[in-house]
Parts: sequence; C-alpha cells; structure tokens
Amino acid sequence: MTSIGTGYDLSNSVFSPDGRNFQVEYAVKAAENGATSVGMKFKDGIVLAVEKLVTSKLLVPGKNKKIQTIDRHVGCAYSGLMPDGRHLVNRGREEASSFKKTYATPIPLPALADRLGQYVQAHTLYNSVRPFGITAIVGGVDDDGAHLYMLEPSGTYWGYKGAATGKGRQSAKAELEKVISNKPELDAREAVKEAARIIYLAHEDNKEKDFELEMSWCSISETNGLHKAVPKDLLDEAIAFAKAENGDDSDSDDSSDESENEKDNEKKDAEGDVQLE
Amino acid sequence: MNGIQVDINHLKKGEVSLGTSIMAVTFRDGVILGADSRTTTGAYIANRVTDKLTRVHEKVWCCRSGSAADTQAVADIVQHYLELYTAQFGEPSTKTAASIFKTLCYENKDNLTAGIIVAGYDEKNKGEVYSIPLGGSVHKQKYAIAGSGSTFIYGYCDKNYKENMSKDETVSFMKNSLSQAIKWDGSSGGVIRMVVLTKDGAERLIFYPEDYENL
Amino acid sequence: MNHDPLQWGRPSDEHYGTYNKSIASASPYPSMHTQQPIVTGTSVISMKYKDGVIIAADRLGSYGSLLRFSDVERLFPVGRNTVVGISGDISDMQHLENLLDEMQTENNYDNEYAEDEEALKPSYVFEYLANVMYNRRSKMNPLWNALIVAGLEDGKPFLKYVNLLGVTYSAPSLATGFGAHLALPLLRKIVDSESDVKKTSAEDAEKSIKEAMKVLFYRDARSSRNYSIAIVDSKKGLVLNKDAVVEDMVWGFAKDIKGYGTQNV
Repeated sequence: MTSIGTGYDLSNSVFSPDGRNFQVEYAVKAAENGATSVGMKFKDGIVLAVEKLVTSKLLVPGKNKKIQTIDRHVGCAYSGLMPDGRHLVNRGREEASSFKKTYATPIPLPALADRLGQYVQAHTLYNSVRPFGITAIVGGVDDDGAHLYMLEPSGTYWGYKGAATGKGRQSAKAELEKVISNKPELDAREAVKEAARIIYLAHEDNKEKDFELEMSWCSISETNGLHKAVPKDLLDEAIAFAKAENGDDSDSDDSSDESENEKDNEKKDAEGDVQLE
Repeated sequence: MNGIQVDINHLKKGEVSLGTSIMAVTFRDGVILGADSRTTTGAYIANRVTDKLTRVHEKVWCCRSGSAADTQAVADIVQHYLELYTAQFGEPSTKTAASIFKTLCYENKDNLTAGIIVAGYDEKNKGEVYSIPLGGSVHKQKYAIAGSGSTFIYGYCDKNYKENMSKDETVSFMKNSLSQAIKWDGSSGGVIRMVVLTKDGAERLIFYPEDYENL
Repeated sequence: MNHDPLQWGRPSDEHYGTYNKSIASASPYPSMHTQQPIVTGTSVISMKYKDGVIIAADRLGSYGSLLRFSDVERLFPVGRNTVVGISGDISDMQHLENLLDEMQTENNYDNEYAEDEEALKPSYVFEYLANVMYNRRSKMNPLWNALIVAGLEDGKPFLKYVNLLGVTYSAPSLATGFGAHLALPLLRKIVDSESDVKKTSAEDAEKSIKEAMKVLFYRDARSSRNYSIAIVDSKKGLVLNKDAVVEDMVWGFAKDIKGYGTQNV
C-alpha cells in the first residue's frame, strides 16, 4: 500500500488519483482476515458452512450462531466484522418482507442480492458512513431453483456454484473447484459433508486456534425449500467425515493439549494479533 | 381553500359506472375473459361499445366493474407497477398482479368503487383467475363472475362450468352465460367481448347481439 | 391589519370574501374511516375440553345475502399449538392473516428455539392480535372482525376472544356473531364453567361442536354446510380438518306440517 499517508485513504467518497477507493479496499481486508465462510450449490439447493473460532473457553459450545436467516428460503453467512453482517441481514429481512407484502410471493434470490448490493454500494459513496467490513454469502431456493451469491464491500455481487471468503478462502476455493468439477451432481447430504470437509481443510493453516463448525442448508428435497440449520446427526456425521478425510486428530474436541493452546493464545495476544471472527 | 365547496356525494350519484356483466374462466390451455359493453350514467347509456377487458401486462388482463374512473385509474397504476416489476425481476405471475390490485383496492377501500377480476396466463401456473370484490379481499377461483348482471347467472354457471374444457366449449359456455346476464340486467348490454390468454398470447373475440341473443 | 387573532394569517375579506366560519368550528373528531364489511364470514365457535381445545368455522364468504365464495378458510394455525378463528370482513381477515405470517417469520429470526421453548404461545398470539384490534379502533379505522384464539399453553387449554372494538374476554366455551346466540347455549350445556373442562372428553367436545355447527346451519341464513374444524390436543397435537360437512340433519318432520295453524290438508 504505497499510497498510505497520501491522504486519499482517509475518507470514503474520495478517489485516489489512480482511481481507487482505499476505504473499500481496507474493508476487503477486514473481510479477508475473518473466519472462513463457505457456500456451495448442489442439485436442488445450497449449503452454508462457517468456521467459528472459539475466542474464549467461557463461550457455550454449539451456541452463538453465526449463520442467519434472511427469509424463510434464504440464508446468509459472512466473514469480517460480525456487527456489519448483522446489520446487512436486518436490511435483507426488511427487503424480503416488503417484497412479499407488495408482490405476494417470496423474494427471488437475484432480486434480494441486487437490493443488498445496492445498499452496500451506497455505503461507498458518502463521507458520513464507512463501507461494510464483510463479504457475505447469500444462498437459497426460489421458483427458479437454487441460487448462491457472494457480495463484496464494494457492492459487487456475483452468482457462484461455490463461494468462499475469510482467512482460509484460498484453499477453500481450490477445493470447491475440485469438488464441483469432479462431482457436479452432488445431492444435499453429500454437499453438506463436502462443505464440512472444506472448512476443516481451510482451518489447517490456522491450526493453533480452536474452532467449531456451523452449517445450514436450504434444499427442495431435504428442507422443503426452507433455510434451516443442518440437523445434529448429519452435522456429526459430516464432522466425522471431515476429520477422517483430512487425517486430522487434533481439533477442538481434543482436550489433551489444552494448556499448550492457552499458551499459544496468550502469545498471540501479546503480539497484538487482533482476532477477527 | 374553502372558496368552492363540493358535495362529493352528489357528484358520485352522476358517476359513469360499469353496471356490468363480467367473467373469467380457466380452461385447458389458459384462461378466457369476457364482458358486455354497456356503460351507464343512471339510466342513460353513455357508451354502448365499451371495452371492459383491460391489459395490465402481456398475459395478465382484468375485467372491470364499478366506477369507470376508479377502475381505469387502478388498472393504469397496476400496469405501471407491472412494467417496473418486469424491468427489475422479469415476467410477473398472475398472483403478483392480483396482489398489486388488492393493495390498491384494500388500502383505498373508503374511496373506491371497484370490483375487479384479474386473469392471466404464465408458463408455471397456466391460467389463473383472482376475484377482487369491493372490500379488497382476494379470492382465487376456477372461474369468476362479477358485476350487476352476474347475479342472474350464478345458477347457470354453477351447473354448466366444467374443469379442463376446450377453447370452443369455454367460449360457448361464456357466450351463453353473458347472453343471459345481458338479457336480465338492464345495466348490461351491447356486444360480448372476450380475450383468450394462452401460451400463444392474447386473442380478442367479439360477438354481436345477433350472434348471442338467440342461442 | 385586522388585530383579531382569529383573522391572523387569513386572506383579507375585501379580496376573498368573508371567512368561512365552519372551518373554525370543524368536527372535534379525527378523520373517521366509516366502513362496512363487504365480503363476510359468519360465526366461529369453540370450546375447551380436558386435553385441549376445539374450534370450528364454516367456509363461506357472503356478499350481503349472496353466498358468493364457498371456499374461504377462516381457521389459521399459528405454530404447532395455536389456531386463530376469524369472523367478519374477509379483506380485513386476509390482512390479519398477513400480520400473523409476518409475526411468525420475525419470531424465527436468530431463534434456534423457535420450534421448541420459544415457539409462539397462544397467549402471545392473542395479546398481539388484541393490541392490533385495539389500536385500529383507536385510530377510528377498525378491522371489522371478531376473533377467537384457541390453543394449548403449558399443557392447559387456552381460549380468548377479541373484536373490532378491542374488547377481550375469556371463557371455557366461546363463539362470535350468530354463534354467540345460537351455539353458545348448546356448548355451555357441556362446558359452562372452568370446572366442567376437566370432566369433558375430546369425543364429547367434538360431538357438541358438530351439533352446534348443525344448528347454525339450520338457523343462520349466512352459513354453509362445509366447514373447517381444528383440534389442539395435548397428545395428538394440532389437527385441522378442512372438509367437515354438516351431517345427520333432520328434515323428515316437514311432511307432517300443513298450513300454519288450523289447516290440515
């Protein structure tokens, strides 16, 4: 970032001479440092998976859900600043509710993605606001089938077959490409397991931190087109599969190296490593 | 502001109204709308060749009854909304069109006299009919009749309507129904207009008194 | 300048004529939305029994005396242990239906217990609807309905009424409209006071509700033979039957009735 200190990076709504909006680029950084989120499309639906870093042993396992529901048929996962994500989801809920009110039909996903895109983009235009520090993955099922979108801090959104964001996105994306080209006809349950495996794989580079896997899905065959948390038994099955596939024996369930972990965490904190989830 | 005072209720009495016979019927290939062509102010026929079948989208049409001014205004607004909808989200469903009609009729019920039948065809749901009577409720139906003349043909329609009729059967059923409505209702008359909505688009039909009077 | 405060800011008389005093003495009421119901649904009837509640409403949408729509559902399940029965204006009923739908969507937001511990209870649903009804009447723009909320709450039967005035009350058997005159006395033969509830079986309750629907069909000129009946039972859960029909009617005695007093042929 050679332009740091030139003053063009201090304010939204001001371009640098070479045509960049630095505030947006910094927002992207915030998203990229966040815990990994993955979304994947399959035959008749989508699955969302997030890596939930356990920042304190006082947090209740299995609670503090990160994946949110925008409308009954739409789910959302995001990496970066969590409060920004929650605000975006609230906006999504308002859009979905108002669409349903006027048109008597659930909001189509392309329409929702577009409206959220416009909202996020508006936060790159004004001095009084900052951009969203998240990259959001929005997925669900409508009349035209399954859709998956990823929305960036600039307001850009693209439709994907598989999407990943956050710290582990590089390895996750590489793996998504493999899965999608090798098994284009994945069903819901297979997709859940693959998504779990990808989150575990993406966590490899961040091994010293404890994490929990959280997953949701939305499929015509399995959830009747509704966005729901993946049920406990399937989640456990997926985690077992993920661990086996990654040849992993040390993970969040492991208690033998508790003290080691703690030391690790302390050291990191001393180095001033900010933990973004 | 109070220099001129208007008795709105006095004006309303002289309003041009569609004391009408209208109907829409789903059939095998889609849906057909039908209407008479009489518009009255009191006992005077203001227009004997009215077109009460109004396009709000390529394959979503409506039959209007009640106040001519109110229903024209409502239909124009819906047409505008559906144009916007199409630009943003693609083809609207008949249900969506009916929902926009409903919102206008329900939220302005104090000021409107509008009884509307919305009928449309889309690839996914095929032919559909939604009836929106005075209060602004919505009723999905296999076929709908409305307007002052409809009261005379409830029995006939109930006995003679069949599901999955052919186009010719449906046209004949509607011609007979509207012919009876026109015969017994002083506020209905003129020609019978129909619009056939199928995958092939919208087709207009017209039947003159000599065609339907002695069926 | 005219120093009379009533004339401040008013157009001067010599230019615009005298001020219309009727403006100053305008109605003390806020704008009134005078309404009347157009398409209507008739009575809802309901009663408690030892393991739950029963509620029924016919499927007719009347347009004045014209029996115009024969397939209008007026019982709405909310979650797994509440049913709302609505009588009165059908367009307002559809509005309430949308509100209930919205309420359920909002309860599901960020709520992993929405289907268990934090599922909407009948009393929540009722309190919400009662507030809506009261607020609307206070805006002089009432929703033209009378509703009964029936359900199971903490294993106990729940039954409560609210109408367009925002008036609420509860009783072990409840009915709206015509039903309050014709059906309620019949239901009270089985369940009159709270102490009768635990003596009443599901079978007895269902029987008397069906009997009451029959009487209503006999005597309510805006009723239909087809009706819906919902049971919320502590064991069987919520069961909504949408194609109940009035049965076992008695008409045979009509043949012995001749004339209207003295005639016998």
